Amino acid sequence: MESIKLRKITSLWILIVLVLFIVNIVLGILMRLNQGEIIHQSPITFYANMTTHGLTQIGIWFVAGMAAVNYLLQRYVKTSYSANVVAMVLTVIGILMLWASTYIGKFHAGWTFLYPLPLKIMWAKWATPMFLGSILVMGVGWLTWSVSMMTQLLKKYPLTRALAWQHFKKNPSTQTPPFILISMITLIGIIACLLGAVLLLAMYSAEYFSNGTFVNDALLMKNLTFFFGHTIANEMLYLGLAVIYELFPEVGGRPKWKTTWYVALAWNCTLVFILTAFFHHLYMDFVQPVGFQIVGQIASYMASLPAASVTIFSVLVAVYRTPIKWSLTNLLFFIGVAGWVIGGLGAVIDVTITNNFVLHNTLWVPAHFHTYNALGNVLFSLAFFHWFFNPIYQGHP
Amino acid sequence: MFKRIILSFIAGSFFYCTAAFGQVNQANWKEDANIYEKVCDASITINKGVNLTLSQLYNEKPVLLALIFTRCSGICNPFLLQLKENLQFKISAGEFTVLVLSFDPRDTREDMELLSERLGLENNEQWLFATTGDIEKLNQSVGFNPVWDSTRSQYDHDALLVGINKDGYITKKLIGLRNRQDLAQMINSVNNIFSPSYRLPNKNLLFSCFNYNPETGKNTPGLGLLFLALPAIVALLLVFGISYSVRQKQI
Ligand code: HEM
Repeated sequence: MESIKLRKITSLWILIVLVLFIVNIVLGILMRLNQGEIIHQSPITFYANMTTHGLTQIGIWFVAGMAAVNYLLQRYVKTSYSANVVAMVLTVIGILMLWASTYIGKFHAGWTFLYPLPLKIMWAKWATPMFLGSILVMGVGWLTWSVSMMTQLLKKYPLTRALAWQHFKKNPSTQTPPFILISMITLIGIIACLLGAVLLLAMYSAEYFSNGTFVNDALLMKNLTFFFGHTIANEMLYLGLAVIYELFPEVGGRPKWKTTWYVALAWNCTLVFILTAFFHHLYMDFVQPVGFQIVGQIASYMASLPAASVTIFSVLVAVYRTPIKWSLTNLLFFIGVAGWVIGGLGAVIDVTITNNFVLHNTLWVPAHFHTYNALGNVLFSLAFFHWFFNPIYQGHP
Repeated sequence: MFKRIILSFIAGSFFYCTAAFGQVNQANWKEDANIYEKVCDASITINKGVNLTLSQLYNEKPVLLALIFTRCSGICNPFLLQLKENLQFKISAGEFTVLVLSFDPRDTREDMELLSERLGLENNEQWLFATTGDIEKLNQSVGFNPVWDSTRSQYDHDALLVGINKDGYITKKLIGLRNRQDLAQMINSVNNIFSPSYRLPNKNLLFSCFNYNPETGKNTPGLGLLFLALPAIVALLLVFGISYSVRQKQI
């Protein structure tokens, strides 16, 4: 009964994601046509499209990853159905609020809504609180969902085991499945960045309601914006990786991957680096202390290295000269890893401070993140969708 | 217990949203309005009755546009005097023309020439004194709204200086009597020279990442930095808290 309910809600998530994805692709194509001067949109329409496209894409592929992880987590622990429903209801409300703010209210400050843009009213007055409110509503839904999943995980696995610390000793007595380790690491990051969003929105509303008696520090606001924005965009990729670790060997008819000391170390390090890599968005901010800029560069290199190299290594070892059963599911996973690596290399080139002087604010930036999102993360989720609806693989969880 | 947490989250979020609708933004963005918009290409009449368009002027050199009226008994005179005084010093490498333009339709070319003589600027090539028939459109394009006060027979208006670059874009606006640094930044901006700027701490800015001490010229870490670390700290506390509260159920 429980698993039927979970299947139903996961199917509904998939449906929502796919419908919104198609709408978003249309918005993306309209933007490209406009940039190529084949059609002519007013700047307001272009930026309203961009804001809607950006935030909706981030939102849908984040929830796609969460829904997949939630579904697979049921193999190990009992997850909360009500938290899943709350997240869905709030996501749908949030998306509707977002679209109302951009298309009725004409809010068009970009999905990163950099301070002080939202407070510089160049649209309907209600559109700013509506836009910020949409992020809050979605954020609260996702926070509830993540906290609930983490609580269920911790009910079964003590914290140190969920983080696979026993693997740092020789001959660990218990195993932490890689899926549990990656989910735990990712959920901590997600909770941190969503709390960042709550703080950011609180700061915005404090200024908005204070009638000029309180103003924010632009540097703090930009740091908080990217602590939230960069981190969530990154964590949604890691949700996809958790799914790969769980399903890639299984679908290929190979034994399950095991957590080893280096897998445990890589993912534990990733937690730290992922929360500090966002500093690379502030290279152009001369008031940011140089130390933070250096941390940003090093953390960005390091964040990509452990998770990426361990995953690539595992995937390559799994397919190289090994008779595996290929299907659309693991083909999508495989191509997704390749897209992720190519886009990731583009990111690493861009986070190098000297290169960033040239690449900042150029099409390089959307190019690299579209590569690892559209050709990486999206394919991870599509692979899950294919697996989910493929009768051959079902009978799980 | 968990359901209660969820419910309070939802209740809180809806409270925030509904409360947000009732508000009107009061922030004062006058200096930021119309930035990077194109200035109206007004026809102007400068010294000796020469007719020009504004674009002919700014295409040659960037323009600092000062909007005044000659019968002003208030801010216009001190505003121009201070501008003249500040510009006597070489405060920026950039070049520019200062266009003093009357926004009062009653002002004539003669009035403006008289004004230039009064300021001792009649032979200064960098300064032009002009009138225009397109003042409404120009005012609108730079966000300037003088209001006629019939009891005082005076305009109620800001002392506005508008920086226009060679492409006709408004790059900076300064309202009021401003110091040399501000003016230097304006000259840099009309010449497309990057000027690093950061809002200085003031009594309304509570959570600055750094506190700047003008006496020592040094920055010290501020409360804002703590705010930056706060989400990560709270997340970790939450993880430990949940881990502690559910530990009886673990295997
Ligand atoms: C599948 C076809 C897609 C097309 C045609 C497309 C197209 C575009 C275009 C033209 C832009 C504006 C870029 C600029 O000039 O700055 C954009 C921005 C963006 N896109 Fe996409 N995109 C697609 C898929 C995706 C996916 C899969 C994601 C994320 C998972 C995504 C996330 C974003 C984000 C975050 C922005 C930035 C928005 C902002 O700055 O406010 N896009 N996209």
